This record gives sequence, structure tokens and C-alpha cells, in this order.
Amino acid sequence: MALVGNIRDFSLSDFLYLVDRGYKTGCLHLNRLDESASLYFDKGKLITASRKDHAASVTDLLIQKNKLTSLQASDALVAQRNDGGANLSQVLLQREYISREELQKILQQYIEESVYVLFGWPDGEFRFEQNQRPEVTSPIMPVPLPVEHLIMEGVRRIDEWGRIKDRIPSNDLVVKFVEQPGDKAKGVQLAAEEWRVFARINGKDTLAEISQKTGLSEFDVSRIVYGFLTAGLVDVIKKPKPLPVMATGRPMAEPPRVKRGLVSRIINRIRGM
Amino acid sequence: MQTVKMVISGAVNAGKTEFIKAISEIEVVSTERRATDDTKLIKKETTVAMDFGRIAIADDLVLHLFGTPGQKRFDFMWEILSEGMLGLVILVDSTRPETFRETNRIIDFFVSYRDTPYVVAANKQDKPNAWSPDELRLALRLPPHVKVLPCVAAERESVKQVLLELLYVILQQSEE
Ligand SMILES: Nc1nc2c(ncn2[C@@H]2O[C@H](COP(=O)(O)OP(=O)(O)OP(=O)(O)O)[C@@H](O)[C@H]2O)c(=O)[nH]1
Ligand SMILES: [Mg+2]
Repeated sequence: MALVGNIRDFSLSDFLYLVDRGYKTGCLHLNRLDESASLYFDKGKLITASRKDHAASVTDLLIQKNKLTSLQASDALVAQRNDGGANLSQVLLQREYISREELQKILQQYIEESVYVLFGWPDGEFRFEQNQRPEVTSPIMPVPLPVEHLIMEGVRRIDEWGRIKDRIPSNDLVVKFVEQPGDKAKGVQLAAEEWRVFARINGKDTLAEISQKTGLSEFDVSRIVYGFLTAGLVDVIKKPKPLPVMATGRPMAEPPRVKRGLVSRIINRIRGM
Repeated sequence: MQTVKMVISGAVNAGKTEFIKAISEIEVVSTERRATDDTKLIKKETTVAMDFGRIAIADDLVLHLFGTPGQKRFDFMWEILSEGMLGLVILVDSTRPETFRETNRIIDFFVSYRDTPYVVAANKQDKPNAWSPDELRLALRLPPHVKVLPCVAAERESVKQVLLELLYVILQQSEE
């Protein structure tokens, strides 16, 4: 069973959030015009990605960067075939052809670049195939990437007001931290401007107030908060207001406090239907 | 005779009319019209004013079910329908992520200022590619205390379960 949709309606960052919180394993396929991309996740974290015409194997990538010889590459390939369990990245590490840090650095950079451009797509069909795994020769990172990291960077690259407005319709919304961010904040690296906003979040100030206090434009504050929001770090809430007045001029009523006995009668009736 | 009311809401085509039809004891008085504007791209008939269903609980008590109209230009009906409601079912077409934002807008309207008891029904679970209730919870970013229930609106048993789950939420908030 696949999850399908269009990133115009359900954005890439929304999807990444779902993958993360849903602890999902599988492949997200994206298609737009003649472009396509595949992002592979393991338990909610990104392990590899490729774009069409860019689908390189880990060994090709390293040879290109002069980090591996063709001899080592063919040797590793043979070893991988004989050892069904390990992927090619793991075999390279076992044979000590490259250090873990260096392999991570090269692959992460390559994968991030493949992913970040996708945030610029205004639309595109997506299809998430649960439990689909990458080829063993793919550039699989030794350390999977937490998606909040991708979301923050991806959001830095969008300047589409419409998408931000959708989640943050007004400047009088109050920004507050989510109750249990868990270790979410750890995976995120903030830029200086983002820290300024982050430090001002107190559950009382609105976006407009944060903009005033930081001297950043309202657009910048909204964009930054949108990033935090999409990464699941904060919530925006309405300022508590007196009950709104209806078109009819009467204030909206609180829901009536109902009697337990009445509810039980309805329950019994519906159970018996 | 006492009447109490529940509201069934959700984006266009979520299955509101179907849901009420499945459980109401009277022929649902829905005002179906040939769809105009954008809606006709999706379906031929849409609910123009509202759906209405009725379940007699006892000689002195009836439950009314109101379905909100799907089209945006009838949003003014929401206020009227929501006055004094006991609880709310938000139906989602689990196969159409393009309606999730609209769904959030609706939830926001009904529950942001008031503590209305509500549940979310992940409808059309019989269709291939339906997003599961867990996936919908994440997609709609619903807080953990909100119930997200699987639903097939055409099946009475399924509709019953959703209403019962809502009633359990209402029961918790009720007074002795
Ligand atoms: N497979 C399947 N189809 C359903 C289900 N519920 C509703 N449908 C179909 O979805 C379409 C929309 O259902 P309606 O009940 O008309 O939806 P609505 O929410 O009343 O639509 P509007 O009044 O236009 O807003 C109809 O073709 C239904 O037959 C379901 O659980 N499973
Ligand atoms: Mg209808």
C-alpha cells in the first residue's frame, strides 16, 4: 500500500515530518515533468537519495572524488556479492578503504544537494512505498540523517509566501515550544538569525512582537518560525481572546455541559442499533 | 421532548451525506444539487444547504445529526449549525491529501475557541491507497488526545463505532 499525493497540496516538509514521527521505512518517489527523485528512509531517517540521471553507485561517487581506486571498487563489489548482508558502503568501511567520517561527509553532501533542490519544486507527484529498500550499491550513509535537519535547510531555500501563509496566516499568532520536543532540537543546526528568533520564543509573544524585538522583518520571522513549525519544534496558537461574536450579534456559546445520564442513554441506544 | 445535536463536518466529498444516511432513521433530508463551480470537477451532486438525520433515543429524546455543506460559499452555515452542539465528527477522505489543509481549517473553525468534543474519522478506509488513521494523525498534526478512527461511511457498523467513540469523549466531559 502506497501513500500518494502531490507536494503542491501536501508539502515535502509535511511529508518528512510524517516519515519522522511515523518512524517510517521506505522510499519516497517524486516526479515532476521529466524530473524525478527517490528518497530512502530507515525508521524515519534519510539513508540515501538520488535524482534521475544522477543515480550513482557509492563507488562511482568516490572514484570521481579521487577517494577510491577502480581496483578497490571492483574488489569491494565482489566482496559485497559474497557477503549478502552488508551494503557496499559497509563493505568499504570493513575493508578500511575509506574512513567512516570521510565517507559520511562525502555522501551526506551529495545526498543533501539532491534533496534540497526538491524543496524548490512548486508541485510534483509523490508516492511513498512502504518498506522499499535502496540498491545495495547506492550511496547509503553510515549515519542516517534526521529529517529536521533537512526541513530547516529546505525551508531556508523557499521564499514562497503562499506556503508560509498557509501555516502562519497572521502575525498575531503566539509562538510556543511544543510540549515534548524530545531530542528534536538536537538534530537542528541554527543560523544566527534563527537563533535570534529561537531565543525570543516564550509562549506569549506574537510573530509581530518577535519581529519588533529582533529587528528582523515580519517575512523573515515568519519564514524562520515556519521552519521550526514544520520541523515540529514549535506551535503557533491564537492569542486567547474573549469569545467571538456571531454574525447574529450574540456571543458564541460555550458548549453546554451535558448530563452524564443523557449521554449514557444515547450510547445505549446507538449500541443497540 | 428534548433534542440534542451532533455535527458531521469535513471537506467536500469527504462522505458526510453517506455517513448520515448510514445511521439515520429517516430518509436523510439532504439538499443535493447538481454541483456547480469547482466542485463539479470532483462530483455530480453536492450538498447545498445541509444534511439532516434523526435517531430517536426514547419517547422524550431525539438525536439530530447535521451535516455541514461542503462548498466554501456556505461557510456561514457552520456557525448556525455549531451552536449548542454536543459533539463533532470531522470526516476526512483518507485517499485525498489535497483536502487535508481544508480539513485543518474546518477543525480550527469549530474547536479553536471552544472546547468542543470531537473525533476525526479517517473515511474511505476500504479504498486502496487510503492513508491509515495513524498517518492521518501525523498529516493533520492532531494532538495525541484526539481520537482518529478508521471509517467506511457506507457501513452502518463503522458509522456506529465512530459515533460511540465520540460519545465516550462527550461522556468524559459531562457532569453528574
Ligand atoms: N469507497 C468509499 N466511498 C465512499 C465512502 N464514503 C463516501 N464515499 C463516496 O464518496 C463520495 C462522496 O460522498 P458524499 O457522502 O456525497 O460526500 P459529502 O461529504 O456529503 O460531499 P459534499 O456534500 O459535496 O461536501 C460518494 O461517491 C460516496 O459514495 C467510503 O467509506 N468508501
Ligand atoms: Mg453531501
